[in-house]
Amino acid sequence: MRSMLALAVAFVVVWSVLVPAPAHSAGILRIAQNASDVGSLDPHFATTTQDRSLVDMVFNGLIRYKPGDGSVFEPDLATSLPTARMGDGKQVWTFQLRKGVMCHATTGVPSYALTSEDVVYSLQKSADKNRSAYAADYTGMTVEAPDAQTVKIALDKPLSPILFFAKVSNYSGGFIVCKKAAEKLGPDGMKTHPVGTGPFMFKSYSPQERIQLVANPTYFRGKPQLDGVDFRYMPDISSRELALRNAQVDVINGAPDKAWVDKMKGVSGVKVDVFGVGEVAVLHLQTTAPPLDKPEVRKAIAYALERDEFLALVGPGIGENVYSPVPVKFLAGGLTRQELAAKGLDYKTDREKAKKLLADAGYPNGFPLEMVTSEMTGYRVLYESMQAQLAKVGIKANVKVVDHPTMHSMIRKDANPLVIYIAWRPNADIFFTQFLHSDSIVVTGKKPNTNFSHYNKIDGLIEQARNETDQAKQVALWKEAQIKALEDMVVYPIQYQNQVYARSTAVDYGHELISVLALYPGITEKTRLTK
Amino acid sequence: MLKYVAQRLLFSIPVFLGVVTIVFLVVRVIPGDPAVAALGDYASKEAVEALRQRMGLNEPLPIQYVRFLGDLLRGELGSSMITGSSIRDQVAHALPYTLELTVLAILIGTLLGVPIGVYTAIHRNHLADYVGRVISLTGLSVPAFYLGILLILLFAIQLQWLPAVGGGSLDDVKENISHLILPALTLGLVMTASVARLARSAMLNVLRQDYVRTARAKGLKERVVHLRHALRSALIPIVSVTGIWAVSLIGDSVTVEVVFARPGLGKMMVGAILRRDYTALQSIMVIYTGFVVVINLVVDLIYGWVDPRIRR
Repeated sequence: MRSMLALAVAFVVVWSVLVPAPAHSAGILRIAQNASDVGSLDPHFATTTQDRSLVDMVFNGLIRYKPGDGSVFEPDLATSLPTARMGDGKQVWTFQLRKGVMCHATTGVPSYALTSEDVVYSLQKSADKNRSAYAADYTGMTVEAPDAQTVKIALDKPLSPILFFAKVSNYSGGFIVCKKAAEKLGPDGMKTHPVGTGPFMFKSYSPQERIQLVANPTYFRGKPQLDGVDFRYMPDISSRELALRNAQVDVINGAPDKAWVDKMKGVSGVKVDVFGVGEVAVLHLQTTAPPLDKPEVRKAIAYALERDEFLALVGPGIGENVYSPVPVKFLAGGLTRQELAAKGLDYKTDREKAKKLLADAGYPNGFPLEMVTSEMTGYRVLYESMQAQLAKVGIKANVKVVDHPTMHSMIRKDANPLVIYIAWRPNADIFFTQFLHSDSIVVTGKKPNTNFSHYNKIDGLIEQARNETDQAKQVALWKEAQIKALEDMVVYPIQYQNQVYARSTAVDYGHELISVLALYPGITEKTRLTK
Repeated sequence: MLKYVAQRLLFSIPVFLGVVTIVFLVVRVIPGDPAVAALGDYASKEAVEALRQRMGLNEPLPIQYVRFLGDLLRGELGSSMITGSSIRDQVAHALPYTLELTVLAILIGTLLGVPIGVYTAIHRNHLADYVGRVISLTGLSVPAFYLGILLILLFAIQLQWLPAVGGGSLDDVKENISHLILPALTLGLVMTASVARLARSAMLNVLRQDYVRTARAKGLKERVVHLRHALRSALIPIVSVTGIWAVSLIGDSVTVEVVFARPGLGKMMVGAILRRDYTALQSIMVIYTGFVVVINLVVDLIYGWVDPRIRR
C-alpha cells in the first residue's frame, strides 16, 4: 500500500513538472455562464440569459442599445434613427441600411452583403408565432423593401419612439438574421448554429461544455480586438469562481450577494462589476379570491412588509428597493419613492396598521395561505422572508418549494394567491400588458400571460399609453396606471437585483458598465485583453 | 457461460421496457412544460401552443409512447426537444467523459480501499487500524461535491498542479487525463472509504475461520495466509458491493460533473429534467438502464470467477 501511495504522489509530481499546462490563445476571451447548456441561439427564441448574451455577440439590430448603457439608442444596421411620418392612415418608419454589412459565411452559404430582403425576412419571422417566441410584440406591423438599402415599417397603430425602437433594436425579436443562412440551416439548425452580421461568428458547439466564436474580420464597425470568445457553461458558482481564480476563465457570472462580492473584491487580479439592468421582484396579489379580494387585506399585506428586510438578503448595492413596478432607474414611466410617498403609496411598513386593517376586514387573527416557490435561491429567499414578515401580523403563509419549471407552470394555473415574480421587461408597455392588462389574466384571460392579480381596472390607461406618440404624455399615463394599481394594492414592488460579474483585471470591455439589457457586460469589437 | 450471459440479456428486455415506460409516464405527469421551459416566461400563450404542437405534445399519450418505442427499436434516440440536436450525438460526446470518470473512480476506490481495509483488519486494534477507520469514517461523512471543491482549492488553486474545471479534449490524451484526475480522485476517495470499511469487515470475518487457523498451523507465512487464503474469500462481498457502487457512482457523477464543469451523462440528465426535455431524459434513462444491466452481469461473472462454487 505504501508503494502505491508513493507511486501516486510521484505521478502527480512528475506530471506537474514535465507536462506543461494547455496553451491558451491570448486573444480569446473565456466567459463562464450560469447555465448547463445552450437553449436556442436562434435570436427569436433566445430567452435565457446565457442565450441572450451569446446572440448579442453574433447579431445586430436596425438599432442598438448603446454598449454599456441601455437607456440610449444608437443606429446599428441602419445609418440613423428615423423619425416617423403618417402615410395612408399608418405610422411609417423608414430605415436606410448601411452598405457593406456582411453576413457571416456558413456551410453552403458564403458570406454576402446584407440587404433589406434579409431585414424583411427577419422581422416577418419575428412576427410569426411558429418562428418566434416574441411574435406577440410584432402584430400590426408591415415590413417592405422598396430597394436593397431601404426598409419601410408601417404600423397599424402609432407608437412612440421608446416603444418602436425597442422592437427593432438588438434585443429579442429585433435581431436581424441572414435569410439565406436561416433558410439553409432550418429552424433546428439555427438553434445551435447562429449566423448573423455581428462582431463574432459561430465556430463550434460542444454540448454542455462550450460554444466557440471567432472574430469577424469584416465587421462593419472594425475588426474586433479579440480573436474570439470561448463561452463556457458552468452552472455551479463555486466552479466558476475557482475557474476564475485559476485563470482558466476571464469573466464569470457571479452571485448576486454582497458577501460574495466583498470576498471576490479581495482576490488579487480580479475585479467585480455590479451593474444594471436590474431584474425587478414584484409581489402580485390575487384580487378575486377571498380573503385577498378585500382591498383592506391586500393593503394590510403591503403594510406588513418591510423592503429593507428583503434587501438584506442580497445586500445594498447588489439590489435596491423599488416602489413602482416599472423601475424608475432604468425605464421611462417609473415613479420615485418621493413621488409615491407624497401620495401615501409608498406603503411604509406599519405592522400595527396592518393588524388593524386585517381586523377591520374580519380577520383579527390573520388567516392561512398556501403557495409555492421555486427552489432557485433568488425566489426562495424572497418567499421565506415574506413568510416570516407576514407571520408577524398573523398571516400564516405555507410555502412549498418546487423546481423552477414547476413553479412557473403552477403559478400560471393560479396556484398562488401571492406571487413574487422576478423579471426584466424592456419597456413599461410590455410590463403593463403582460402583468396588469385583463387580456393577460392567468387561466381566464383572452391571451393568458402573467396577470396573476386578475387586475382589470387599467386596461384603458394601458392602451391609451401604448398609442400615445408624445413621450411626455405617454410617461404620464404610465405613471397614472401605476398609481391606480398601487391604490388598489395589486402589486407591491420589492426590489431590483443588479447583475454581478467578476473578471480578470486584464479584461477591458471597451465601455462603461451602467446597464445592459442582455444581462451581461456586453462584448463588442472594442473589448480586449490587455495581457 | 454463453447461455448464462444470453439468459441474463434476455431477462433485461422487460427491465428496459419497464424503466422506459415509467420514465415516459413520470416526466409527463410532473408539472412543467418543455415548451414553456424552451421559450421562457416572456413568450405569449400562442407561441407556447405553437411550439407544443411542433413538439408533438398535443398528441395522445399512447401515440407518443408508440412513436418513442418505435424510435428506440430502430436505435434512434431522437432529437432534443429544446435544441433540436441529435441525442445520439450528445450522448456520444458526453458518454466517454462519464465512462472514464466512473471507471477510474472505481479503480481508485478498489485499489485503495481493498488494501486499506485488508491492512487495517490484519493490524486490528493497532494504530494503523484506528487511523484507517477514522479516515474511512471521514470519507463517508464528506459529501463528494465538498471534497471536490477542497481538492480544487489545494491542487488547482494553491499548488496549480492541475486544472480546476473542464473536461479537456478527448483528442488530447494529456489534456484529458489532467482534467480527469481531480474528479476521479473525488469520487474514488468517497468510494475508498466504503470499500475500506467493507474490506476490513469481510477480512475480519474470514480471519476467524477454521481454515485460516489451519493454514497458519501448517506453517505458512502470514503473507501467504492473508493473501492466498483469506483475501480470496473476503473478496466475495467486496465484489458485490463494488458492483453496487459502480452503479451508484454513475449517479454520483452528477455532482462531480457539475462542480468540475465536466460534460457527462449525469449533467445532461439534470439539464434534461430542468428543461423538461422529455426526449433527452428518456434516452438517457435507457442508457443508464443499460449500464445497470451490464454492470450487474459483469459483477455476476466476476463473482463466479472468485467463488468456484457459484460457477458450479
